[in-house]
Amino acid sequence: MRWLALVWKSLLRSRRRTLLIVGSLVLSVFTVAVLQSLLTTLDSITSNPNSGNRLAVRHKSGITQMLPRSYETFLRQQPEVETVCSLQWFGGYYQDPRNFFANFASDETTIFQTFREEFGLANLTEAQVKEYLRDGAGCIVGESLALKNGWKVGDVVPLTGTIFPINPRLTIRLIFKSSRPSDENVLHFHYKVLEEGVPRMKGLTGAFWVRVHRPEDIPRLIERVDRHFANSAYETLTETESAFNLAFVKMLGNISTIIQGITIAVVLAILIVTANTMGTAIRERGAEIAVFRAMGFSASRVLSLLLAEGVLLVGLGAALGLLLAQAAAGGVRSAMGAVMPFFADFEITSVTALLCLAGALAVGLLSTFIPAYAATRRPITEGLRSVG
Amino acid sequence: MNANRFDLGGGEPIITLRGIAKSYWREALEIPVLQGIDLEIPVGSFVALMGPSGSGKTTLLNLVAGIDRPTCGTLEVCGHELNDLDDDELAAWRNAHVGFIFQNYNLVPVLTAFENVELPLLLTSLGRRARRERVAEVLALVNLTDKQWNYPRQLSGGQEQRVAIARAIVTDPDILVADEPTGALDAKNAEEVLGLMGRLNADMGKTIVMVTHDPKAAHHARHQIHLEKGVLDRAVEVNR
Repeated sequence: MRWLALVWKSLLRSRRRTLLIVGSLVLSVFTVAVLQSLLTTLDSITSNPNSGNRLAVRHKSGITQMLPRSYETFLRQQPEVETVCSLQWFGGYYQDPRNFFANFASDETTIFQTFREEFGLANLTEAQVKEYLRDGAGCIVGESLALKNGWKVGDVVPLTGTIFPINPRLTIRLIFKSSRPSDENVLHFHYKVLEEGVPRMKGLTGAFWVRVHRPEDIPRLIERVDRHFANSAYETLTETESAFNLAFVKMLGNISTIIQGITIAVVLAILIVTANTMGTAIRERGAEIAVFRAMGFSASRVLSLLLAEGVLLVGLGAALGLLLAQAAAGGVRSAMGAVMPFFADFEITSVTALLCLAGALAVGLLSTFIPAYAATRRPITEGLRSVG
Repeated sequence: MNANRFDLGGGEPIITLRGIAKSYWREALEIPVLQGIDLEIPVGSFVALMGPSGSGKTTLLNLVAGIDRPTCGTLEVCGHELNDLDDDELAAWRNAHVGFIFQNYNLVPVLTAFENVELPLLLTSLGRRARRERVAEVLALVNLTDKQWNYPRQLSGGQEQRVAIARAIVTDPDILVADEPTGALDAKNAEEVLGLMGRLNADMGKTIVMVTHDPKAAHHARHQIHLEKGVLDRAVEVNR
């Protein structure tokens, strides 16, 4: 027999109790891991390393209000600006309303330069880009989206509009690969398809995406753009891409506070449950602990064995919980990634997993230490008297 | 002869108690349990501690076994002054020198007979193979080789107590302390266990100190020491 075997066998003393506590730990760690990963995913929206030199210019009243495309002229004239791209959320679906993904009408002439990191422009050939520019009914799609739907270059994708009363039939001219899965769950088509199909959209756009030469120019440019269009019929609100995305996240409410609140509640609940269980389990073994000590096990050695039991118990629960969360992450990516592209990046990161594991181990140590310490400090003679 | 000093025959003392007293405290109230105990027990003795409930016999046994400390007096067992040892040293000393046999066997229910016996050896420097050989040896000695993979719940009371005895002797201690070892056994099993203890004393030279209420059990010892209200009352040599 080895020490680990002794700890393991002691843990299985009451299988039902062990199973229940491991089960509750699995659920708790699963919940915390998924919630914290959700938070990480939402944070990544606002911390896209590629968005540092991009601005979003939209109507001051909200994202559903349009801006004249003629504003582009002024934007292009600013010395800090590298390129400007009109972008309008189309909101169409392919074949089934449930088969939803991000799709935009965008200025085909500037989209590649504006989002060159997302499109992996360095890996695209000039011929591929030209093919898309040549075909007014063409579209570009990310590789993840293409794989999911079994699309290849040359396939026709009929989109059914939900916001605009048109159903464009688009031919895939380019499939791009990006560094982040979320950037690949998207389809872009020529802006003129929207303008020509929807008369009220003629000369209007939902937003301009502006790429600047240097990030440090951004504050100055924001101030100048909004000042220029102030008191006009179409006042603007210019903000960094991160701030724009954050506004979307904020539409979900103060989700960060909610998630952290739930996490704290779950951790406290499991701490109390584990402490109670371990306390009961250790108290029931008062005589056995006394016998161990009578045989020559020092108080610190018995304490170590009991702590090892606690740690093994929560370690097991945490590992299973993380495995479950990892499995669920795949489901979240495929189910939610199409609806909200950033969910395509959803994963249980190693940092989250380590935090969960460390948290669980801390719970194990904390919940076991107090009853174990008390039990090992109890006089041996007193412990022996508690024999049946 | 001092009222609390008895001659248990010749031989080098393995247990020497001088002026031992033990009191418990209930808040401010001192409850004396043992008073002025002077006692020498020679190597190879088989001593039965007897007396009515509350006479202090189990307390005396606990002191000799190093699981309790006296309020005053000196206690030398197996050449060690126990008062000088700190708790960890005392634990190591118990592992090396004392084997325990309890009334309720106190086997670990989730371990097999073999693993229960192996427990004290985990604290020694013996390797896995040496441990297994030693456990097999003592299980054969108590005639339980065929039950070595049984769990305590699969054993009779007598078999459980024999496993407990195997566990007590597996480290080859100098002293065996037994607190009512037959208290939970029927007459036949009690006789078997006492016979085994007698052989351990006679054949292996183990010094045994046993607490018992049972005159029949005490008859297996070579000396009976009677306690009364915390003092040694009389010592009797058993004639067989």
